[in-house]
Order: sequence, then C-alpha cells, then structure tokens
Amino acid sequence: MADAITEQFSAPLTFNWTLSYRCNFSCSHCYSRDEVGEELPTSDLKRIIDILAGKQVPFINFGGGEPLIRPDLFEIAAYATEKGLNVSMNSNGWLLDLAAAQKLKASGFKSVGVSIDSAEAALHDDFRCMPGSYVKAVAALDALRAVGLRSTMSSVISRINYRHFRELLQLAREHGVHQVYLHNFKCSGRGFKNREELDLSPQEWKDFYVEALAVKAATSDLSISFDDPVISSLPGYEANPLVKGSSCGKLSLHLRPDGDITPCGFIPLVVGNILREDFDKMWYDSPILNAMRSKEAKGKCSGCGAFADCLGGCTARAFATTGDFCEPDPHCWK
Amino acid sequence: MNLQRNPEIVWRIEKRREADVLAAMERGEDVSEHGTVILIANGMMHQLNFVGGRIWALCDGSRSDEELFALLSGEFQVEAAELAADLTEFINDLTNREWLRRG
Repeated sequence: MADAITEQFSAPLTFNWTLSYRCNFSCSHCYSRDEVGEELPTSDLKRIIDILAGKQVPFINFGGGEPLIRPDLFEIAAYATEKGLNVSMNSNGWLLDLAAAQKLKASGFKSVGVSIDSAEAALHDDFRCMPGSYVKAVAALDALRAVGLRSTMSSVISRINYRHFRELLQLAREHGVHQVYLHNFKCSGRGFKNREELDLSPQEWKDFYVEALAVKAATSDLSISFDDPVISSLPGYEANPLVKGSSCGKLSLHLRPDGDITPCGFIPLVVGNILREDFDKMWYDSPILNAMRSKEAKGKCSGCGAFADCLGGCTARAFATTGDFCEPDPHCWK
Repeated sequence: MNLQRNPEIVWRIEKRREADVLAAMERGEDVSEHGTVILIANGMMHQLNFVGGRIWALCDGSRSDEELFALLSGEFQVEAAELAADLTEFINDLTNREWLRRG
C-alpha cells in the first residue's frame, strides 16, 4: 500500500457532465438556470465518451439542467457503459417514472440521484419553484427501487433545511435510498443572487456540520456524504487520504453542454474544449487547474493550522465571492 | 483456487507515475511509497505501489499463487524467501479487505 502520497493523477476520476442547461424546474439555488449554451449532437457526445474511455476516466455523472430532457440520454449512457465507464446521474425526478427508471436501468446506470431538499412537501416545492415536485421526486425514488436501480438522494443544505436534515435521512430510509449527499450551498449562479436569503453564517455551518458528522458516525443503515473541505478540521471527518482541499481539478472536472471543460460546475472558467484541444495538455498544463492545485494561504488562512488539510476550503466559493482562488472560503468559521 | 480482483472495485494504472517510478527504479531509488495504481473501494480511494500494483494487475483469476510467484520472481530482483513473504502478506491484506477473492 502507498496511501500517504499525494500526487497529480493522470486524469480525473469523475467527469460531472452537464449535457444541457435546459430544465423543467427553476430552482432558487441553481448554478446553471440562467446559463445558455450550444448543445452537442449525439455523435459528438459519443466522441467525448471515446476520449474519456481512452483516458481511463472511470466515472461520469450527468447533471444539468435536467439530464432526462435529452432524449438521447439513454443511448449515451449505454454507449458509455459499453466503453467501461461507470455512469450515474442527478435528476429532479419529475420525468423519472417507472418507464424511465426501466430505461435507465437498461442503459447501464450504476446509480441515479434524486434531489429532495426538504421532507416537507410544501417547503421542497417552494424551494424548487415547482408545485407537485416533492411528490414526483419521492415517486422517482420508488420507481428506482421498483426496478432495482441503486438510488441516492441529494439535498442542498441551506437555510430552509439545515435544522431538519434528520427528517431527510428518514425520508431516504423509507424509500430505499442507499446514500444521501448533504451538499454544501454554493454561491454560484442563482445561488449567488439568493445567497443572503439561503446561505448560512459560518457559525451556523460549523454547528450544522458538527451535528451532521455526529449523526453520520452513529448511522450504519445509510451512507451519508459531505463533500466540503471546510470541515476537514472537525472531529469525525474522514479525510480523503489522497487529496486535500477541493477535489475539483484534482479528482474531477466538469463538462459543459458544448464540450467546454471547467474545473467544476460552480467555477465559470473554461480550461479548454474537450473536442478541440489535447486533453493531456489541458489536464497537466492549464494555468487555471494548476492555480487550483497549488493554492497559497491568504487572509485568515495564513498561519491557520487547518490550512494544511482544508487548503482554504471550497475554491468555488472563494472564487465566487472574491475572484481569487486563494482567498478563504466564506463559509469558514475560524 | 486462483486469486481474482473484486469486480466492484474500480481501478486504474497511473501511467505517467508508473513511468516515473520505473525511471527511479533504474536509478536505484526506493519507490516503495510511490503509488502507481489507484483503487476505489467502497467510495474510498487507495493507492498501490509499483510491486503491489503489479500483483493486483496479475490477479485476474487465471493464475495460481505459484504462477504469480514465478512471474514476479522473473520481474523483480528479490530473494525468493523475501518475495514469498511479501506476496503472502499482500495477498492476506487484500483478501481480508475483500479486494481479492479466491475463485
């Protein structure tokens, strides 16, 4: 074993892939709802999969926009599966009925995530700006269970739900969910515009995470995941031994509908286009990615004992609020 | 029964690192702490060093332990007893983790 070494990988492990910015919802926190962009034809999407398979990228996760908006989603997923990739997606659940679940299963999806932000139907519907969306999302989880497809649940933690995440976990249990992602709030896109209303204060984030990590430690029937480097100094946090700080640009990249690569969906800086530029050159030599991989402590991070593990916290949040990768994460309570 | 990788585990040889490690070995440097194979098991990521990664790659269910030992003996300049002990320890560790199976 050689777990202690942190070095650059030869390619990302995951591509988070926005096939389309189109969506049937209009959520308050969405990073991409106001984005528009050219969408690639199926043939180009398959070319991208060929590139990813050639680089041995093991995971792709379709997000959006709503992935089920694209009628060729199943064909694309089946092609990726055939090429050896592990395919997953995130959906708002509106279009995910039993027939769609069967097609997702047949296309080779390893897991499908459904976004649910509150166990109270009215609160979820209001957050998602879509009456009836809670009922549809829960039905989507049941459809996935009915066809034997592993389901996950994604909940964006914000002011509407941070005191009630236990109810979300219980909802997940009742509907056969394997894993719950408690996503940290990102101030990008509409999330930036609605930040005052939805985001927590640094102390509230700390209180939430201390509580949520304790619940995670005491929970054995459900996998609970956080992906927030700002919590690396808290007790109970299981650090990824191979990568510190934000995983964006180190373990994962994001693909836009036109094939442009960004470090993550929340950082609107284009590294290059996967169909037009050499992948290795982008991955190894991009000034944007290399700046993210070699952050230097600024502001209150200078001299902070936690910096060695958190590397300044979420790079996307720091960039969104200051325009500088190296500034401290605005969620940091230290 | 032959050793076989758990098919649930996603893994990849890090080719650029592997090339660096091979070059370092040529120079006589210690590369035992340098990962060349990454594994994702139960959502957690791990690395194997060059020797571990080579054993892992060979565990495709087609070779007996004796055949594995013979192959590795030809590839690495190590005393037979030391190699046998290291191989046994590695296999025991990975079978205990359920990353390798007999089948």
